[in-house]
Amino acid sequence: MVSNDEIKHLGWLSRLELADGEITRYASQIKEIIGYLDKLDSISLAEIEPLHSKKEFSELRKDNAVSFGADVLGLANKRKDGFVKGPRMV
Amino acid sequence: MTKLYCLSAGEVTTGIKNLDFSAEEYIFQILERIEKIDVKINAFTTVNKNCALNTARSIDKKIRDEEKNIGPLAGVAIGIKDNICTRGLKTTCASKMLEEYVPPYDATVVKKLKDSDAIIIGKLNLDEFAMGSTTEYSRHGSTRNPWNIDCVPGGSSGGSAASVAASECAVSLGSDTGGSVRCPASFCSVVGLKPTYGCVSRFGLISYANSLEQIGPMGKTVSDVVLVMNSIAGMDDNDQTTIFGVPNYRVQPKKNIRVGLVKELVEGADDEISKCIYNAMDLFAKSDCKCEEISMKSIEYALASYYTIATAEASSNLARYDNIRYGFDSSPDTYEMNTYFAKVRSNFGEEVKRRIIIGSYVLSSGYYGKYYMKAQKIRSLLKQEITSLYKKYDVLITPTMPVLPFKFGEKIDDPLKMYNIDVDTVLANLTGIPAISIPAGFSKGLPIGLQIMANESQEQTLFDAASLFESTANVQRSPEL
Repeated sequence: MVSNDEIKHLGWLSRLELADGEITRYASQIKEIIGYLDKLDSISLAEIEPLHSKKEFSELRKDNAVSFGADVLGLANKRKDGFVKGPRMV
Repeated sequence: MTKLYCLSAGEVTTGIKNLDFSAEEYIFQILERIEKIDVKINAFTTVNKNCALNTARSIDKKIRDEEKNIGPLAGVAIGIKDNICTRGLKTTCASKMLEEYVPPYDATVVKKLKDSDAIIIGKLNLDEFAMGSTTEYSRHGSTRNPWNIDCVPGGSSGGSAASVAASECAVSLGSDTGGSVRCPASFCSVVGLKPTYGCVSRFGLISYANSLEQIGPMGKTVSDVVLVMNSIAGMDDNDQTTIFGVPNYRVQPKKNIRVGLVKELVEGADDEISKCIYNAMDLFAKSDCKCEEISMKSIEYALASYYTIATAEASSNLARYDNIRYGFDSSPDTYEMNTYFAKVRSNFGEEVKRRIIIGSYVLSSGYYGKYYMKAQKIRSLLKQEITSLYKKYDVLITPTMPVLPFKFGEKIDDPLKMYNIDVDTVLANLTGIPAISIPAGFSKGLPIGLQIMANESQEQTLFDAASLFESTANVQRSPEL
């Protein structure tokens, strides 16, 4: 069961402002889609291991800090004193 | 006047190197073609006019000066799906969220193409963030199918397929997460490849579902796809999932291939499509191939597994779009952080929002084991089954799409119906194997594609089978426009 409240909550968790009409439409569509995904319940998978990456952690490249210049900073609409300006925290 | 825009990539580069015509003449004709045709097709989101002409002139100069380092794609006009980063050229993902985004770097594939002297002719339309099967979910409007402009071109790389079919560029790049190269290739009667996972670098491909997607080439012939693959495949330090190997693919139609036809997927297709795929099997049999019908038990769970994993990864990947570091003009002044993010993110399109919500649902506490973990187990099961099938067969064949290209608006109000048309293509993404769509015929004037799948890293086997089929089937590629 996918309710309007559940869609509204998921919307909030995903930081998506949804209009009332969208909530109702998504609830009905996603209920049908999740119903289809329930097909995964119809097969016994207890003995199967999930697929995972073949790479060992030690093989992974170290993520070094990437330097950037004004061209990257220039992508932000709001800037101040060499910083990107965001909304207030509280 | 010779119609240079109709030439294949191989013919273009040979002609330019032999001084039969110049890269500038060719690019000029391509730009004229785009100007004339794209008002009907809407394949391009950006045309790289001035830069393309300048690059063409510099290639002509290199050839006139008899320089030694002439690239294998010298002068070839290539279109790039608009979710692959191009330095200094807008990369919008067909979304309002990135409508003004100009990447400060080239994706590895783009850099490699430039190093091969290909000419980036422009950026191509797609479903927003590559989520869709029709290109109807683009902020730039739908791309139209060159074979019938009332029909969808497939998606999400609809612009990449339609531009090649309409001779607006010789070859193109798309990206394929669940069939997004092969679906439009089938609907537009061109050749489209989804390489083995890790064969082509994803660095600079704007992420949708990292564990499934690959960049792949499209062209009018298998030979053109091979030509592009030899330029873009290989290891990349910037993508840790790339696998070792120096590409050296060849076009060599081979006989005596062992072909398995996946019964469930042929039976699930519309009648005219099933008939066409059985005809394709007959053509393989006439070329001394050993052909058998086979059954895949776990295939019926593939689509549910795919949509669980793809939406889960999408919900995580798209969390980064907060409109702060780049995006459209909407001031954060006066807003509290969460309210601002929710407000600007509501500018994602209908399908993207739907997939983010589904992804959040299947990853939620209480549902993670029920959906996501089971989907990953199905993926293992499919991999086991397919590995055992490739001990007996060199390639597996299926329809690329279970339906013919359909009219705009026909499925857009029913997302599950839309998802269902990916049933034949998701297997290759879930298991990481290479798959190609190749024109197989027509019904009611609309194209049908044959999908050929080979085992992991067996691209050469795939090309052998595809070029054998291409040489025997001889299906029309470009419509009159």
